[in-house]
Amino acid sequence: MFHIFCALPCEAEPLIQHFKLTELKQFELFRIYQSKDKHISLTITGVGKINAASAICYHHACINTHPADGWLNIGVAGHKNIPVGEVRLINKITDHQNGACWYPQILFDSAVGSEALITLNKPSENYQDSLFDMEASAFYQMAIRLGTAELIHVLKVISDNADQSTSTVNAANVKKMIAAQTTTINKLILALKPFSDELANTLSEPEHYQDIIGQWHCTQSERIKLCQLLRRWSVRCSDQDLIQTLAKLKTAKQIINTLYEKINNSEFVIHD
Amino acid sequence: MISMIYIEEEITDHPRTRSLLKRFPEATQISCERYGEVFNRKSQNFRLQKKKPALILAKKHKGLVLPTPKQYGIGAEHNYYFSHMLNCLYDCRYCFLQGMFQSAHYVLFVNYEDFIEDMQSMLSRHEKETVHFFSGYDCDSLALDPVTNFTAEFLPFFTKNPQALLELRSKSTQIRSLIKQEPIQNCVIAFSFTPDKIARALEHKAPSIEKRISAIIELQNAGWKIGLRFDPLIYTKNYAEEYTTLFNSVFSKLDADLIHSVSLGGFRLPKDYFRKLEKLYPEERLFSSPLEEEDNSISYPANIRNEMLEFCKDIILQHIANEKFFPCHEMI
Ligand code: SF4
Repeated sequence: MFHIFCALPCEAEPLIQHFKLTELKQFELFRIYQSKDKHISLTITGVGKINAASAICYHHACINTHPADGWLNIGVAGHKNIPVGEVRLINKITDHQNGACWYPQILFDSAVGSEALITLNKPSENYQDSLFDMEASAFYQMAIRLGTAELIHVLKVISDNADQSTSTVNAANVKKMIAAQTTTINKLILALKPFSDELANTLSEPEHYQDIIGQWHCTQSERIKLCQLLRRWSVRCSDQDLIQTLAKLKTAKQIINTLYEKINNSEFVIHD
Repeated sequence: MISMIYIEEEITDHPRTRSLLKRFPEATQISCERYGEVFNRKSQNFRLQKKKPALILAKKHKGLVLPTPKQYGIGAEHNYYFSHMLNCLYDCRYCFLQGMFQSAHYVLFVNYEDFIEDMQSMLSRHEKETVHFFSGYDCDSLALDPVTNFTAEFLPFFTKNPQALLELRSKSTQIRSLIKQEPIQNCVIAFSFTPDKIARALEHKAPSIEKRISAIIELQNAGWKIGLRFDPLIYTKNYAEEYTTLFNSVFSKLDADLIHSVSLGGFRLPKDYFRKLEKLYPEERLFSSPLEEEDNSISYPANIRNEMLEFCKDIILQHIANEKFFPCHEMI
């Protein structure tokens, strides 16, 4: 799943249309949208760091996110001399207030260049070599607690620069600027998907795990042991019928002992 | 190959930083205050980063040259190790670096001069005694040599100081810089091996056994001393057959007189590292090996461990003299 966060409704609207998202009316604190297949969700955070951080927590609680999900902050930002309408990924986020830095890990090939960004508390026209925004540091700081640095990204479209100041920015042209980048955003999601899938695979439970804990009462430590043993079973005893092996056993302890013994008595070959 | 380079502010103007940046003109440069801000952060995934590691240029401030654990050595009383780099181009599934580091990015400490100064002071501490320095603990010594210029920059120190010996631990065939220069007697190029089928299953991206042997032959012909490190020993049902084939192939092709030392080391990982590796690669067969926990580390049970060590030792001693053999050469 991918979770998108936009500060303003005008940043979100083109994405809501593009990904055919519908509003989840049951959530009232922030406006949350989701695609029919639940693959993409979007929350409008409002402006500023407090709003961004709160919206992420709320979104996480409402949508039930997974550690292998992708997190995107998409919006507009200012820069000294990058032309208005151009798009950039962010490779370093600095919180202007306390100097703290974060480094989103861009592991995919992208036609979009990357730049550093500074998150400010107030809008500024004192343009620099880094992009300016008002949410990214809070977005990242919160998202990194829920996901992994390789799957949390900030993508900004330049809305103003030293030649075209914020006075030229309005909702209508922000909508147009974001709408012009939907292909780029699609490509970003496609580029991140294999990473997300691979991570989801490594986090998934071994085969038969749910069947076993559904049928036999297992303590937390027995569940951990069971996971380890089921993984080993799939490598070392894949020719044996697990369900039949366990069918007559009465307790989780017996299951663990049986698996342990069978695995230990099997031959081990490290290669095909 | 490198598309992102993080640069510590303090070494932005270091001559080695400047020349490295010239090698990768297309790479995006990102400044950071300390490399740990990128490298040591939690919530990053080693497995994902291994697909496209970035380069981090940094300065090593303390602990540049450290004493090795007691049992680690190849004959000298004073043993130290140093790491001009963290992480490796290759991706061996048994590698403890995956458990030790949060990030798979390559960290290169560009202040070689400080490492050399520290080595000099270690030598002064043990005047007139032999001191061994080991490289290749936190990285492969040679894999990135064309980029780091490591051997060309460090070997002159050893030429000047014959009481010091350098071991370069590697699986790499990047030997051009060594071949170009006169061999020195106090440098051992130590190659690690596992049997071919095991290497194919576990040593991802590393040169094949055949290529490693060819590199050794070239080095031996040029007059360099060679070390052989059968470490880690990896258990599989037919290990005896597979290790016999490996030993035959290695010892039949190499000049035994030019072999400086041979060592063995069992597969062993600190428990925490092992658990992390298991989580990163739950599908990996290695982690389903017959292993057990002992003293906070994970290794083969004593019967397997001893049987393998004895078996390998017997064959190795048919090929080399006892004084060149160091059975347990384990760092962690
Ligand atoms: S060559 Fe050595 S350092 Fe590199 S991945 Fe393999 S074991 Fe680790």
